[in-house]
Amino acid sequence: MIGFWRGLWLIAAIELRQRVRGVAWYVLLGVFVVLLLIVTVLLAITFNLAASAGGGGAQSGAPIFSTIIYFVLLLGTLVAPALSGNAINGDRESGTLATTQVTLVTTSQLVLGKFLAAWLTALAFLGVAVPFLLVAQILGGVAGSTIGVSLIVLAVELGVVSAIGVGLSGIIRRPLFSVVVTYLIVAALSVGTLIGFGLGGVALQSRVTVPTSYYDDGSGSCQAQASYTTTVPGFEKVWWMLAGNPYVVLADAVPTQYGTDDEPGDLFGFIKLGVRSAQIAPDPASYSYSDCGPNQHEYSRPTGREVIDSTVPSWFVGLLLQLVFAGALLLGAVRLTRAPSGRLAAGSRIA
Amino acid sequence: MSEQEPVRGIVVSGLARSFGTVDAVRDVTFEAVAGRVTALVGPNGSGKTTLLLMLATLLVPDRGTIRIDGRDPVTESRAVRAGLGWMPDVLGSWAALSVRSTLELTGRLYGMTKAAASARAVELIGTVNLGDLADQPTRVLSRGQKQRLSLARSLVHDPSVLLLDEPAAGLDPGARVALRELLRRLAGDGRTILIASHVLAELEEVADDAVFLEAGATVDRARLAAARSQSRGWRIRTLDAAALSTALARESLVPEPGPDPAEAVVMLSGEAEAAALLGRLVSAGVPVSAFAPSVGDLEQTFLDLGGAR
Repeated sequence: MIGFWRGLWLIAAIELRQRVRGVAWYVLLGVFVVLLLIVTVLLAITFNLAASAGGGGAQSGAPIFSTIIYFVLLLGTLVAPALSGNAINGDRESGTLATTQVTLVTTSQLVLGKFLAAWLTALAFLGVAVPFLLVAQILGGVAGSTIGVSLIVLAVELGVVSAIGVGLSGIIRRPLFSVVVTYLIVAALSVGTLIGFGLGGVALQSRVTVPTSYYDDGSGSCQAQASYTTTVPGFEKVWWMLAGNPYVVLADAVPTQYGTDDEPGDLFGFIKLGVRSAQIAPDPASYSYSDCGPNQHEYSRPTGREVIDSTVPSWFVGLLLQLVFAGALLLGAVRLTRAPSGRLAAGSRIA
Repeated sequence: MSEQEPVRGIVVSGLARSFGTVDAVRDVTFEAVAGRVTALVGPNGSGKTTLLLMLATLLVPDRGTIRIDGRDPVTESRAVRAGLGWMPDVLGSWAALSVRSTLELTGRLYGMTKAAASARAVELIGTVNLGDLADQPTRVLSRGQKQRLSLARSLVHDPSVLLLDEPAAGLDPGARVALRELLRRLAGDGRTILIASHVLAELEEVADDAVFLEAGATVDRARLAAARSQSRGWRIRTLDAAALSTALARESLVPEPGPDPAEAVVMLSGEAEAAALLGRLVSAGVPVSAFAPSVGDLEQTFLDLGGAR
């Protein structure tokens, strides 16, 4: 017998030592650091210019912090499938899976150990981003809750991608294929939900009648004009599609910090406001045009704070669905990798 | 389910396993006794590797039973694994890890403490003679060296039953002799050793028993006995080709045509006939320098069973 956590950690340690010994891995991290440096410097310049151009006391820390977090999420979700998507079937191809399976580690320890290693590897990207996050923190304006929640959600999202990769590597025989499918799932979550949202909103558009009026110089009064009809997209019917998007989950989960104008002050807030606004059905009045007197352009948009406060958060639903999906894939991998194995496709070898 | 008196060794009966429509193993029944080296002989595709995978707790049989030291690899796979060493025919190793780390980590996967695993690794590196390469990553190893690492890995937890799939492939002659001595010693300790191999000459020297596989089934004893009693070739070497040729003509034996006139291969049925012929040749004054079966027992049986097809 071998203790559950001990066996799990042994598998993870073997996996990590296999990866970390590779020069390519350090090159990749180095490239990532250089990219982060460029992004941070460019953002700092941009915000300093904006501040000196009359932005007043706007603090540049919060936008830089949120952008770096998003950058880590982008890079992490791009790299994690390649690192995790062949964890199990790759071992099978290189002939090291069966020799591990005949030892006393269980299949659960094997699969979860590989998941842990893949997750830690993805978190290394977050690790090297820490100095840049500290710079953002020093520049000021980053709330403690923003730091805490965004780091946790980012770590969980990287874990979800790693779990999907490891799970698929145990379910699909060919390493190349499982890596590609992992990428497709990540793309479906990150870009596919966005495309679905956009196309769905346009497809479900509705016709609205917009009243218009004009100022009649002759009579000196406001004259109602024939109203016209136009189409408005139905984003309020498809906004839920974005709930599963990792970028939206991150934005929606982080408590928003507002500026003095009640508008969000960082990238999390902007994306959150965008997604929350989509929940609100468009008001025909907002399309109307009137050049009458004092009420000209009177229709006022609600502030970011009002929009966010009046709409519902969705991040926990999206995150929960992602966790269930990733967990199911890991469970599937455990079932299909279990030895002695009952089913096996003709012509495939297990050793 | 429980077998109270644990029978040591491997007992297999009526084993079958198919992959889709391919019957890899149809009907395998044999026994490998503790303290002896049993050879598993059969042509390519006869089901040797599939059989070993089932014995190694990696594959569930469709029918039949396996007992390894009295335990069932399907229902008691962990208990079986604790006492089973398996050396696969595929040479996989953790490419980035050193020989030493590979053995240490394997030991720890078998539940050994760090110190015990480390000591065992040192011991096995000596056993398989990989001392010079102990701290090299395994990706630099040659085929024969990987083969020796694989053997060491299968021995990490001091198993009582050893399954070896083509252990001599890629080994140089020195390593083959060392392997043979190691296997004899391990069997001498009372371990059960089952070796699948194509290198029949190699098996000949180390195996005590043999199990013949043909198209997924063990060859039964009657056919084996028949095959063994068939006439087989004996190689006679002489210093005087002409004298040998005359003597053989007098025996009305027709040697098989060969490139070397000083050597003749004749078909004889059984050792008694061979001994009698040798006696007559020597008394007839033929200078015989070598007189031996042209191929080994296992190989002859293998060929007689149609393994050469």
